[in-house]
Amino acid sequence: MKFIIQTLVTIAGCFIAQYFLPWWTMAIVAFAVGYYFNNTGFISFIVGFLGVGILWLGMAYYIDSTTQSIITEKVNRLFPVNIFVLMVIVGGLVGGFAALTGTLVKGKKLARY
Amino acid sequence: MQYSKALASLVLTVALVYALNRSWDFGKPIPPLAKFLDPFHGFWKNAETKGGPSENNMLAGLKEEISIVYDSTLVPHLYAKNEEDLFFAQGYITARYRLWQMEFQTHAAAGRIAEIIGANAIDFDRGQRRLGMVYAAQNSLVEMEKDSTAKMIAHRYSDGVNAYINSLSYEKLPLEYKLLNYWPEQWTPLKSGLLLKYMAKTLNIGDKDFEMTNALKLFGKETLEILYPDDEHVGDPIIDNPNGWKFKPITLDNVPPALPKDFAQIKQIEKSSSDVGSNNWAVSGSKTSTGSPILCNDPHLELNLPSIWYIIHLNAPGFNAMGASLPGAPAVISGFNDSIAWGETNAQRDLVDWFKIEFKDKSRNEYLSDGQWKATRKVIEKISAKDKADFYDTVIYTHHGPITYDESYHGDSEKNHYAFRWIAHDPSKELLTFYLLSKGKNHKDYMNALDHYTSPAQNFVFACVNGDIAMRIQGKYPVRRKNEGRFVLDGTKTSTEWQAFIPNDQNITYKNPGRGFVSSANQYPVDDSYPYYVTSTNFEAYRNRRINQLLSDWKSITPYDMMKLQADNFNLKASESLPGWLKMLDSAKLTNEEKMAFQKLKTWDFNNSISSEAASYYEAWLRSIYPMIWDEVFDSKILLPAPTSYVTIKLIKEKPELSFFDILSTPEKETAVDVVRKSFSEGVKEIEKWKQEKKKDPSWAQFKDSYIQHLARLEPFSYHVLHGGNGSIVDAHSKRNGPSWRMVVSLEKNGVKAWGVYPGGQSGNPGSPYYNNMIDVWTADRYLNMHFNASAEQMKPFALSSSTLKPQGK
Repeated sequence: MKFIIQTLVTIAGCFIAQYFLPWWTMAIVAFAVGYYFNNTGFISFIVGFLGVGILWLGMAYYIDSTTQSIITEKVNRLFPVNIFVLMVIVGGLVGGFAALTGTLVKGKKLARY
Repeated sequence: MQYSKALASLVLTVALVYALNRSWDFGKPIPPLAKFLDPFHGFWKNAETKGGPSENNMLAGLKEEISIVYDSTLVPHLYAKNEEDLFFAQGYITARYRLWQMEFQTHAAAGRIAEIIGANAIDFDRGQRRLGMVYAAQNSLVEMEKDSTAKMIAHRYSDGVNAYINSLSYEKLPLEYKLLNYWPEQWTPLKSGLLLKYMAKTLNIGDKDFEMTNALKLFGKETLEILYPDDEHVGDPIIDNPNGWKFKPITLDNVPPALPKDFAQIKQIEKSSSDVGSNNWAVSGSKTSTGSPILCNDPHLELNLPSIWYIIHLNAPGFNAMGASLPGAPAVISGFNDSIAWGETNAQRDLVDWFKIEFKDKSRNEYLSDGQWKATRKVIEKISAKDKADFYDTVIYTHHGPITYDESYHGDSEKNHYAFRWIAHDPSKELLTFYLLSKGKNHKDYMNALDHYTSPAQNFVFACVNGDIAMRIQGKYPVRRKNEGRFVLDGTKTSTEWQAFIPNDQNITYKNPGRGFVSSANQYPVDDSYPYYVTSTNFEAYRNRRINQLLSDWKSITPYDMMKLQADNFNLKASESLPGWLKMLDSAKLTNEEKMAFQKLKTWDFNNSISSEAASYYEAWLRSIYPMIWDEVFDSKILLPAPTSYVTIKLIKEKPELSFFDILSTPEKETAVDVVRKSFSEGVKEIEKWKQEKKKDPSWAQFKDSYIQHLARLEPFSYHVLHGGNGSIVDAHSKRNGPSWRMVVSLEKNGVKAWGVYPGGQSGNPGSPYYNNMIDVWTADRYLNMHFNASAEQMKPFALSSSTLKPQGK
């Protein structure tokens, strides 16, 4: 349950940040979520990865289907791997590591008190 | 321990963000991946759906409100309340759809492509700098700034482009910027000048001066005139006005031609294809069904995406013009207004020369001119290459122009330095011509507009609702002695330099000729009684004859007939060569494949239609016979010119024993007949090989495999098209070049009607449905109706959407 909530919060937070701000602000959100949700590092990474991955995939899928793949089809041919897969990996890795960092930073603080 | 883990994770995250936020070059350029793939701002945001914009933009710098109506193909109709706003809006709207292309082309003109694509482009960039492209644009900018109108249109256009650039966020940035990871810089009037010089380069740089110099040395004068005649004496000249040239021409003292002693062995800068050319004609009302003149134009250029043309309708009090504009330059280049229509083809005249320079010493600070040492001017060109160290090149200027070729650039030895003299280096203000044409009301206005036109020299066709038609071959031409301009010149003597220019009122022109039409298709310009020497690298021998034949034959011509003529696929070259060649074949000795090819060719109607297989066999035969005959030229270690196909075909017919027909690599002594037979076999073999590779029938469109290429050569943004035609055919669509814009204008008294199309789309965005939507229309030889309505209200029935540009703060 916590896992799902943490994922949903990541998705919502990243959506709001990215709607107004550059792409890398999602890393700050994923970091913050990782910090506040007291999960293990591994789970946090998965949550960060999935949160950003699902958000990006959803957004991209929406654009792709409302524009009849007009641009996806072309840009896809510029890359050696499928553009959706590549996007999820790229966004997911950043989200995952940012969330992991959040958890680890918090762990450090807890250890001190 | 925990602390170091957290730190490591933080460092890794930050490094990841950094690495995915910048571009990389691992042999292949990689865009900033996360930035590019981010669906909130990245490339996804460039995806568009059908429909035009309905926007209200507040812009600083506007005086009054401008209404813009987009019609169904996204052609913008701009209704402004004054001309200053009109050109601002033209800049703004053109940039909205074509910004990346505008900047890419002007960067290419200025020799700045390495900045975008990296070190591979340094050689190209150096060439552009050494041709003096920026020098040329600066000279014309100075001239433009002196004229209040030219200055106004160039600056207002520039302001409009910048208003758009300044409104951009990463999200709205054109796709190519995202992919290549850079940002547009501010537009300037100089960039409009650069664009026009880029066109001038395309249309002027095909000269064979070096090759001709070598050929003269190697073959001698007599053979030279057989292989490379100035005038092939074929068909009608563009303007046939025998003994109509009633003026006193400028004459020059005779000086013996001085040629350099050695062969020139430079590696030349890439030249334009000889398929670059154009057709235009105007038919008088006496020959049309409506009794009103019809004017047509189709410029043949390399076919790229985004297209070189952008259709626009510009309307303001006292101004109402529509047609094809060049993204990056204000006004309409090939178009029409309420009263007149105009269009261009390349005049082909030789407007470049190479002067061999003698320096005093290795410092190259001084060079010889009429026995005196003159000082050079050195310009250090800095070429910034993406992700690489800057490259510096010293370009030396003489009074002729920049030294293009020397030992550090494409030269053959330390001794040989060639300075480049080009008409486009001279001050000029072409923009004013197109502005004045856009506003022109009659023949007098057309003549006045052309008086301001310098380069590249064009055949300007004209027609007016009052019934007048005209042609004028306008440009600034040096007065030349016979044979001057064909060879490399001696730069140490001022007597070989351009001494004078042909006055505008002595340029070749005529109005309302008796035959009821004017036409040009890059052929020889004028009858023999014209008092000036005319030379060129090549004049086209076929298209003009086919066009003139049909225009002479036809009566009661409709705009639809004119469209058929623009799409005419009759291969005159084949009809003149093939029957004779087929007779030379010894049918008894043919293989089965050859017999089949023979049958197809024999029954061919000479149309290069999409499905014709004979057209493919003929083309394969031509491609094989040409290098077989001219092996002396192509296999030579010395740089030599290639004779035209017209000359080649004529020589096969008339001089079959000529020594050039001997194939050097064989012990036998071949004649034309042997070469024709041998090349037929090779051509058929080529087709058989093609059939096996492609597993298809060799229909002409498949075999030709025409390609419309994205300017950055990105394959997914480019298209293969199946279409007929070929170079030397009226429908001059070869593999890469073709009718880049087709226009038919009927100048009827109760309203000008016009149709146009080009192989591309109004949007330069590969993510827009309007990126390529005209390709299929063009390929089917169909046209779009140009909705030429005088007000935004009248445009309503044809509107896809409407937008406004409003002055900020009002």
